[in-house]
Amino acid sequence: MEQRTPTLRNVAWLWFAISVAVLVVGFREAIFLVPTDAAQGDVGRIFYYHVPIAMWSLLFPYLNFAASLAYLYWRNRNPLKALTADAFALASAEVAVVYTSITLITGSIWGRAAWGIWWAWDARLTSLLLLWLLYVSYLMLRRFSSTGQTQTLAAVLSVFAAVDVPIVYMSIRWWRTQHPAPVFGGGPNSGMDPSMLPAFFWNLAGWGIWGIFILLFRFALERRRQLADQEAALQAIEASLEIPQ
Amino acid sequence: MTWHSFISMSTLESRHLLFAYATVLVIQVGYISRVAWQWHRTKSPRP
Repeated sequence: MEQRTPTLRNVAWLWFAISVAVLVVGFREAIFLVPTDAAQGDVGRIFYYHVPIAMWSLLFPYLNFAASLAYLYWRNRNPLKALTADAFALASAEVAVVYTSITLITGSIWGRAAWGIWWAWDARLTSLLLLWLLYVSYLMLRRFSSTGQTQTLAAVLSVFAAVDVPIVYMSIRWWRTQHPAPVFGGGPNSGMDPSMLPAFFWNLAGWGIWGIFILLFRFALERRRQLADQEAALQAIEASLEIPQ
Repeated sequence: MTWHSFISMSTLESRHLLFAYATVLVIQVGYISRVAWQWHRTKSPRP
């Protein structure tokens, strides 16, 4: 155990360095190397941040969903495994809120420049806002609920929240919306110019590696808290046993 | 595009690109800073 911690720390620092290096390459590609969009001008470069982060923002809710199901399965069978699953569920919900917030804000900034409005109540924007609200509610429930069933209630809420993810994904396929059509898998006219691909994929890789890094860091923090709480509880029990009756 | 035009606030296009990039940076760096700060505040249970 004593040898494992420095190794994990070195892996974490290496992962951090790789993610920053990939993001720097992605930044250079997106801002300086990719040709300016003929129709949108330089504001079109927001695409290289907005779209990769939006794509990853739909992964973290599924991780939260899977961890919540694992928690519900293990909570009476194996409480230690359930605690680990719960820590992972909390970490993935926070990262989902981080990525969804950036998607909503960068999309709104792009919309103001491209459409002349900050917001439109179309299917994609509304379903994504709903997803953000669901995960903010999840975090608020965990933060402020004082019942002994908080983790179970949060896990059940997570199962319902995950239902919104496929609706967000399919919204621009099921309904005609103001939001642009899908870039990939949207029919014969979808796809992007080959000159845009390096900038897009460097940023997709960079924000993915970064997202996994912050997810695991937040998970490690939650595990450290759980273990510290367990240790404090054991010390309190030991102290109470030493009090003369 | 150059560094000069990237940090320029002269047109709506360049302002919005800069704001979008600043949003990404502030939220991501802010979040990891908060996690790192809490990590240092939380005592490691190992001896």
